[in-house]
Amino acid sequence: MQKYISQQNLTTLLDTLIKQGTRVVAPHMNAGVPLYEPIQSAADMATGQLPRRSAKEAFFPVCEDIMSYEKEGQRISLKDIDPARFPETVLVGVRPCDAAAIPVLDEVFSWDYKDEFFLERRKKTTIIGLACTAADDACFCTAVGLFPGETKGSDLFLTPLEDGGYACESYSDKGETLINGNKELFAEPTKTKALSLAEPQTEKIDLKKVKSWLDEHFEDPLWDGIATRCVGCGACAFVCPACHCFDIVDEGTEKAGKRRKSWDACGFWKFTHHASGHNPRDLQPKRYRNRIMHKFKYYDDKFGQTLCTGCGRCVRVCPVGIDIASIVEEISKK
Amino acid sequence: MTEPIDTSIYSAVTAAIQTEAQRILAAGLVTAIVGYAASRRNGSTQPIIVTDAAAAEKLIFTPASVNNLALYLTKAKKEIPKKGKIGIVVKGCDLKAIVGLMGEAQLKRNDLYLIGVPCAGVLASTVQPSTALTADTIASKCTECDARLPSDCDYVPNVQLPTQPQLAGKYAVEIARLEALTPAERWAYWKEQFAKCIKCYACRQVCPFCFCEQCLCDRNKPQMVDTTPRPAGNTAWHIVRAMHLAGRCAGCAECERVCPMDIPLNLLNRKMAKELKELYDYEAGFEVNDKGPLTTYTDKDDQSFIK
Ligand code: SF4
Ligand code: SF4
Ligand code: SF4
Ligand code: SF4
Repeated sequence: MQKYISQQNLTTLLDTLIKQGTRVVAPHMNAGVPLYEPIQSAADMATGQLPRRSAKEAFFPVCEDIMSYEKEGQRISLKDIDPARFPETVLVGVRPCDAAAIPVLDEVFSWDYKDEFFLERRKKTTIIGLACTAADDACFCTAVGLFPGETKGSDLFLTPLEDGGYACESYSDKGETLINGNKELFAEPTKTKALSLAEPQTEKIDLKKVKSWLDEHFEDPLWDGIATRCVGCGACAFVCPACHCFDIVDEGTEKAGKRRKSWDACGFWKFTHHASGHNPRDLQPKRYRNRIMHKFKYYDDKFGQTLCTGCGRCVRVCPVGIDIASIVEEISKK
Repeated sequence: MTEPIDTSIYSAVTAAIQTEAQRILAAGLVTAIVGYAASRRNGSTQPIIVTDAAAAEKLIFTPASVNNLALYLTKAKKEIPKKGKIGIVVKGCDLKAIVGLMGEAQLKRNDLYLIGVPCAGVLASTVQPSTALTADTIASKCTECDARLPSDCDYVPNVQLPTQPQLAGKYAVEIARLEALTPAERWAYWKEQFAKCIKCYACRQVCPFCFCEQCLCDRNKPQMVDTTPRPAGNTAWHIVRAMHLAGRCAGCAECERVCPMDIPLNLLNRKMAKELKELYDYEAGFEVNDKGPLTTYTDKDDQSFIK
């Protein structure tokens, strides 16, 4: 379904949703940093900059409680978190590279073990994507097969027009429902020209060639060459829309506490550190190799998708300038 | 228009670094040189470890040469074999960290070949690497720098540092602003900042002084600090970090540069440095001192906190 929505009506739509008790998550400035966070008013939405962290946290928060415990004398009581309490959500202003990562995450969170924390939030969320009109030189969505108008992962997709309004197209039942429930705010498509989309300055990378090289080069001097300088932090994984490793810890006292799930990263020395003290990935090049292998080989082997949407966040935040785009490009030319 | 900063010496500095690097590698004076090389993004640099004289031409110095490479000399970086003498490109602020590490018996002067850079300043982490250096885009630390010309190096390119515009010290201004607040207001400010922390530990991993074999915050037998990015664990981490670096931090501001959440970590470091200056007349500098202000006791030490 194709529609038009004016800037004013988009504001009204979001404010109405908020008033009705829907959780609206949008890019928003938090102490100087743009993040996807629940907003209290449409006026708080700030879509000008790419949020520093990705939209995955609408489903997979930085940290969440998954259980609580209490101990009194000999009596121990455990309490589950009830996912039914997760609110209906509209996630709006999502960049194409963030939205495209969400179906990628669906695969892993619904394969084998069904992660109800992720899936329940996912079920209750309508995603409104927004085309990109500006890119910087870290962006490389076009190199991994996406583009600034990519609609993958969006229920509704907005393309900014010259009059300040948006062309709006729905790609799922959730999208249609949102339009149908607020018919008066949407108009028929107009002839107004769309703003020109961003043009990331990267050439398409042959991901098949990358994968077949990775298939054969678990051991290769390339890993040492790149990753002796990796400092082993969590920055690249934490800002990534597709990284999904997490840790589970119990926090509290002997008497009461919570079991918590929080983001983990393959760059950390503790990642896959066994109780015996042995770590199969004992040095940084082996950990960095896992990052590339997981994104461009293992995930593809298992789910037929690439675990990178080219958002460029890891490139921007890496303390030592490790640039996944140039590494993958180099591999594709081997 | 904001005031431009003259970085024209950097091309001469680059040429001099390349020539010297080639000479000392070819002569076998060093086994490796840690320096900066260009990377894909326009104007950006990345650390590089050069072991071959022919690769010395990759070394550059630009306003985007932001890293403190001293990190690669410490035992935290096990991936880098520390065999023979290692050459390293250092700015004054980086050199202070090396000097601090010598004082803590982590490095020996004889194992290093120091290539010092006369420095006009580097870019803030909040701008694109291709940005021109101006009074607005310069890293906050550079506005308060007293170390533009590193001393006691093995080699310093012979160039004349240009005269700098007078820059307002960004930390001094911010510290004064925070000191004027009430404790409750100050706490509200830091609470908001710490709430953004995601425990990626980039700040710890780039710090040359965070060379502990196992950080207290990574221990789980027993668990000393909550590991999750929540108020309790975040506050604990930031207090541990600030306190453990007091009297050690050399002011390179790497922690603040790399924080993906823009938490002003060096503001805590500068505040601690200010207290140490007032209490113990201690300042990080170019002189090796194996008795840190918080690891020694004299009867002249401030006792006023004992009530
Ligand atoms: S690997 Fe890097 S560029 Fe790719 S999706 Fe993740 S953060 Fe973005
Ligand atoms: S690649 Fe960069 S961001 Fe990722 S762990 Fe290594 S140093 Fe940290
Ligand atoms: S603090 Fe001083 S030595 Fe360090 S980068 Fe800035 S100007 Fe150069
Ligand atoms: S770098 Fe920033 S976000 Fe990461 S642990 Fe340090 S303070 Fe927290």
